[in-house]
Amino acid sequence: MREKLVYILAIVGAVLLAWNLYGIFTVLPDEAAQGAIYRIIFIHVPAAITAFTGFFIALVLSAMYLKTGDLRYDSAAASVTEVSFVFACVNVATGSIWARIIWGIWWTWDPRLTSMFVCLLIYFGYLMLRKAIDEPTQRGRLSAALSIFGFVDVIIVWKSIQWWRTQHPSPVLSIRTGGGNIDPAMEHMIYRDLLAFLLIAAAIVLVRMRQEMIEREIDSLRRLAHA
Amino acid sequence: MNPLLQALWVARKDLAIEFRTKESLNAAGAFAVVILLLFSFVFDPASPEVATIGGGLLWLCFAFGGALIFNRGFARELPNECLDALLASPVSASSLLAGKAITSFVLLLIVEAVSLFVFGFFYDVRWWLHPLKLFAVCALATWGIAILGAAFGAMTVNLKLRELMLPVLIYPLLLPLLMAAIELTNNLLMNQVTSDSLLWGRVLLVFDIVYTSLAVALAETILVN
Amino acid sequence: MDTRNFLFMFYGFLAAWVIVMIYIITLARRNSRLKRELDDVKRLLDVKETRAEDRTASLPHGRGSVQG
Repeated sequence: MREKLVYILAIVGAVLLAWNLYGIFTVLPDEAAQGAIYRIIFIHVPAAITAFTGFFIALVLSAMYLKTGDLRYDSAAASVTEVSFVFACVNVATGSIWARIIWGIWWTWDPRLTSMFVCLLIYFGYLMLRKAIDEPTQRGRLSAALSIFGFVDVIIVWKSIQWWRTQHPSPVLSIRTGGGNIDPAMEHMIYRDLLAFLLIAAAIVLVRMRQEMIEREIDSLRRLAHA
Repeated sequence: MNPLLQALWVARKDLAIEFRTKESLNAAGAFAVVILLLFSFVFDPASPEVATIGGGLLWLCFAFGGALIFNRGFARELPNECLDALLASPVSASSLLAGKAITSFVLLLIVEAVSLFVFGFFYDVRWWLHPLKLFAVCALATWGIAILGAAFGAMTVNLKLRELMLPVLIYPLLLPLLMAAIELTNNLLMNQVTSDSLLWGRVLLVFDIVYTSLAVALAETILVN
Repeated sequence: MDTRNFLFMFYGFLAAWVIVMIYIITLARRNSRLKRELDDVKRLLDVKETRAEDRTASLPHGRGSVQG
């Protein structure tokens, strides 16, 4: 059942992504100033939203773990965080390739980029912390606490382009600006890509959660064997 | 007993122990001064540019010195199971955490005062132009460092890799606060107030409020096994 | 299509693809490692159980102290 769900999610996501890529390269018009490179936005923005959605879900799952003590929530939070971290890396990598052409530099220390870098460091710390603790309930408790502390930075990343005048472009999506900053066809494509990314991310999370389950099983069997 | 009063009692106990041995105070103070000294090789200490980077220099010293202080905060309670005894006592976990934060706050402020004099002496920077504002910035930023230091000191106290994990986890979280403190201190050292000053001040304040409430709310989770 | 900066656009899409692929490869490796570990632990348990059974079967009148 679960395996089937993984396949369905992955295949639907992949097909949608392929269809989107076709649209991105053949149907959508060019951007006047930037040339072809503007198309990176269709990876950069959906990857960011996927990552932040994931960090938010991880926050909720962590809070639920603290409330119930059910280790399944803890493994789900860890899986979602790990996958979100990968998408955050995709976001930063594509962004800096875009910046190399548009700004002439790979990186700049404006509040948006800095807080995003901090975000990567925080969640990298989260993954390290989980590796450093063997006892499952202690690992769950502390990583859940870190997930809650760390999410504050996600809010800063999200809001930074409104709070400061950053070198990073200001918001373009209509839900944040009220519309008018982007061609509706392009905005539509961002959302279609986001859907594809979310489906693929969900499939990977399910695979990762299954691994966590096997790990727990190995743990309990080992305890049985050495009892 | 009032939770705040409980926290103050914990802090009083810790400060009494600390002032008897002065172990973290000496270590953190010496460390901060050594970093100040090392920085004199990085750039020309006689140039007027020192004022423009002074804030960054000072807050790096304070942040690194702080790590030595709050690393000891909970670790000091490990021998003889003092931590378990404290948790079994009527003192609540959040009061214990707040008490540890108050201790680090006081100790770090002392380190900062010493470093400021050393800094003014070696680099010829007049930092006393806005004493009240500088104190406000130091107090707000130091409280943020202290409360996060206490929370993460508590989180990592039972880990084998305690000394390694603490800085890896805490510095990224502290970064918004350090950025704000550095900007504000630079403005004060250069004797100018920019339009961004208010924004950075607000960052400091919000950071303190958010992390203090989170730390107090999660204290039970972090500390009680 | 406008071909200005086409190469870097290609790099951007490639980078995204490569990062996700590397992650999926590590996932697959972890999967096979976990399967192996699970099999090992199960085999260990089986061995222990059969040994325990052998011991009870070989004991005279089915009693005596368990050794080892």
